Amino acid sequence: MSTRETQPQARDIGPKNPLVQAGAAAVDYVDERTGAKTGLTWFLFRNVPRGVSWFQTLGFTAMALFGLQAITGIILAMYYKPDPNSAYDSIQRITEELTWGWLVRGMHKWGASAMIVVVFLHMGRVFFFGAYKYPRELTWLTGAILLIMTMMMGLTGYLLVWDQKAYWATVVAVNITSSAPLIGPYIGDILRAGSEFGPDTLSRFYSIHMLLIPGGIATFIGLHLYLVTKLGIAEPPWSRRRLAADRRERELREAARRRLEPGRTPVPVAPAPAAEAAPARSPEAGR
Amino acid sequence: MQESQGNGMPEESPGRYSGPRAYDPAPPERPDPTAVTRTRFLTGVALAGGGVMSAAILVPVVGFAVAPTLQGEDYRWVDVGPLADFPLLQVSSLAVSGPDPEADRRVFIRLKERQGVRERLGKSPADQLTLEELQPGDLELLVIWNRCAHLGCPVAYSRGGDSYICPCHGGAYDSRGRVTAGPPPRPLDRMDAKIVGPGGKSVTLAQALVKPSPGAPLQVRQGDYRLLIGKPYSIDDEERPYELHGPGEPLDGALANLYPLPRP
Repeated sequence: MSTRETQPQARDIGPKNPLVQAGAAAVDYVDERTGAKTGLTWFLFRNVPRGVSWFQTLGFTAMALFGLQAITGIILAMYYKPDPNSAYDSIQRITEELTWGWLVRGMHKWGASAMIVVVFLHMGRVFFFGAYKYPRELTWLTGAILLIMTMMMGLTGYLLVWDQKAYWATVVAVNITSSAPLIGPYIGDILRAGSEFGPDTLSRFYSIHMLLIPGGIATFIGLHLYLVTKLGIAEPPWSRRRLAADRRERELREAARRRLEPGRTPVPVAPAPAAEAAPARSPEAGR
Repeated sequence: MQESQGNGMPEESPGRYSGPRAYDPAPPERPDPTAVTRTRFLTGVALAGGGVMSAAILVPVVGFAVAPTLQGEDYRWVDVGPLADFPLLQVSSLAVSGPDPEADRRVFIRLKERQGVRERLGKSPADQLTLEELQPGDLELLVIWNRCAHLGCPVAYSRGGDSYICPCHGGAYDSRGRVTAGPPPRPLDRMDAKIVGPGGKSVTLAQALVKPSPGAPLQVRQGDYRLLIGKPYSIDDEERPYELHGPGEPLDGALANLYPLPRP
C-alpha cells in the first residue's frame, strides 16, 4: 500500500474508518455476550456530586496499595521459605543477594505501613464527612471488616521476618488476643497452633497471610465497590443539596413535633390559645 | 380498557368480527401457601443437598485447622542432668524447649537459701552467704519459668538484684518470682522438680546434700543424684499452686472469672 492511500484513512478516526468499525464490532461482540460494556459504563461513568475533591480518592489509594501488596507479595513468595530453619536466611538472601530483592521487599514493607495509614485516613474522611449515614450503613460495615482484615494482614506478615523483634512482638500480640475473656485462650491456641510458638505457627501465619485474608479482602473490596457504585458517592457536608435536604428534614421533624402538616412552616403562636388556634389554621389535620 | 369480570374473559366488544378470539388464560388459582409444590420441593432438596455437601467439606477442613491446636501439652519428667552440675547458692538458666526450639522456653533453676535463713544467721539481704555456714536443710530448689506472666516475653535474671526483669513492658519480680513492679497480674509460673537419688529413689534436696564436717562447705552427696523437671503450674501471691494459666490471666479476684472455660 502506498502512503498516499493510507494517509486519508489514518486521519479519519470517525465511524467510517474500517479500523474503528472493526473495533466497535469487537466491543459489541463482547458486550452482546457478556454485558461488559454496560457493566463498565455503569461502574465508571457515574455522576458524582458537586464538591468532590481529593479526599474522595483515599479509598482508591487504599485499593491500589492492596494491589501493590498483592503483586510484591506474590513475587516475594517465590523466594521466601516459611520454615523456622530457613525463613530468616531466605529473607536475608532476598534483601542482600537477589537483584532488586531489596526493592521489592522494601515496597512490600513500606506499602504495608502506607496501607494502614491510608485506610485510617479513608475511614476518617468517611466519618467526618458523615458519608456512613443512610443509605450507606452497609458500605461502612464492609469497610470496617476490611479494616480488621488489613490489621490481621499486618499481624500475620510481621512474624514472617522471623527475627527476634518479629518473634517477640507476635508472642505479645497473640498473648493479648488470648487474654480476651471467655474464648481468648482458645483463639490464642488456634493462632499459635498449640500452646507455644513452633514450626506450625510460622506456616500457619504464612497461610493466613498469603491465602486466607487476601481472598477475604478481595471479596470485601468487591462488595464495598459494588455498594459505592450502586449508592453513589456521598455529597460533602457543605453541599447545598445536602444542606437543603437537612433543612427539609429538620422542618419535617419540627412540623411533626407541632402536629402541623409536613411542609408548612410553623407560625409562632401565643402559648395560651394554642389549642383553639391550631385547628383553625389546619382544620384538615383531623383533630 | 374494559373491566375484566375476573374470569380472564373480556366482555365482547361490538364489531363485525365473529370468528374465534384469543383470550388471556384465567389466572391459576392461588395455591395453598402451605402446599408443597414441585418447585418448593426441589428448592428444599437443592438447599438441603448443598448444605450436606458443604458440611461434608467444611467440617473436616475446619476441624483439621482447629482441633489439633486445642490439645493440651503432654508433660513428662525430663532428666536435665546431675544435681552436682547446678551450682549451689546460685541461679542457673536452662533451655527446656524440648522438640520445638522455636518455643524458646527457659527455666531458672534456683538453688538458694530458704526464707528465714538469713534472719536466723543475722545476715542482711545485701550480705553474701557462704556454703560453710549453711546446713543441708537451709537450701531450697525452685524451677521458675522465664515466661512473663503479663504477655509472655522472656524475663531475664539479674544476679545483682536477685530479681527477674521483663524487657517488654517493665514487669519486675523478686527472687522468688513474686511481682514487685509493672503490669503482671500474678507471679512467675514454676515447674515441678524432683531429685532422684541412687537406685531411682526420689529424695529431698536436704537428703541430697551433705556437710562432711561442721566447718566444711555444703556439697552434693557422692553418687548418682539427678535433677528432673516436670509439669508447669501457676502460683498466686502466697505461692499456692494453681493449674497453669496463660499470660495475662489473673488467678484470683473478680477478673479471674473472665476465663470460666476449661483450658485447652
